[in-house]
Amino acid sequence: MKDIVISRTLAFPRAMVWAALTSSDHLAAWLMPNDFRPIPNHAFTFKTDPAPGFDGTVHCTVLEIIEPERLKFSWRGGGIDTVVTFELREKGKETQLTLSHAGFAGLSNLIPRVALGFGWKDLLSKKLPAYLSAHFPK
Amino acid sequence: MTYVAANQDPFKAIADPNRRRMLDLMFEESRTVGSLAEALGISQPAASQHMQVLRLAGLVDERVEGRRTFYSVRAVELRTVADWIAKYEAFWTEKLDTLETHLARMKN
Repeated sequence: MKDIVISRTLAFPRAMVWAALTSSDHLAAWLMPNDFRPIPNHAFTFKTDPAPGFDGTVHCTVLEIIEPERLKFSWRGGGIDTVVTFELREKGKETQLTLSHAGFAGLSNLIPRVALGFGWKDLLSKKLPAYLSAHFPK
Repeated sequence: MTYVAANQDPFKAIADPNRRRMLDLMFEESRTVGSLAEALGISQPAASQHMQVLRLAGLVDERVEGRRTFYSVRAVELRTVADWIAKYEAFWTEKLDTLETHLARMKN
């Protein structure tokens, strides 16, 4: 099971990209309305329109914040419990931004957390990933 | 068949340890209700009832061979995971585009 990883080079200095990622106002402008604060362990939410199976609120906690390189926060809502990480690397005057959204494996309706520990370990760690990579190649 | 909303919830369907065990066994190979009842040490009517819950939740497929019905885990349910990932990938791609536009605005 592959996580989502998107990398792109932005024609902006790293300090600027960092600012856009770590201020509540900037995040609201390009991502979603939020009460983010750049403080480790700060719990915050992103608000968006509800959808079937999703009440429109993403519950997050700042897991790691290392200026100006890495911002990592949990991302829970709509049945998923995942982790989002932004990594910023300086490339001359540009910035390479890598987003990863991880933790999707084992989160299907079929295998929620309550299923863990009843012989499902094998299913989660081997069978499901094998099945998914065979049927849904990236 | 009457579909009851509550019964369609896969989370509720697998909240029961016997049903989880049944899914485990069916994941190995397709099974009849009788063989599942035997493996779990429960009565056949009890196993049938559990199977009904799993069926209503859309978690099992059935195949009739002669007088016997074999049940297996419905793998298509696993598609949900792949669908979510595809949706989020599109979401982030769009948001990163917006970020670039926003950065350009910040610069001015």
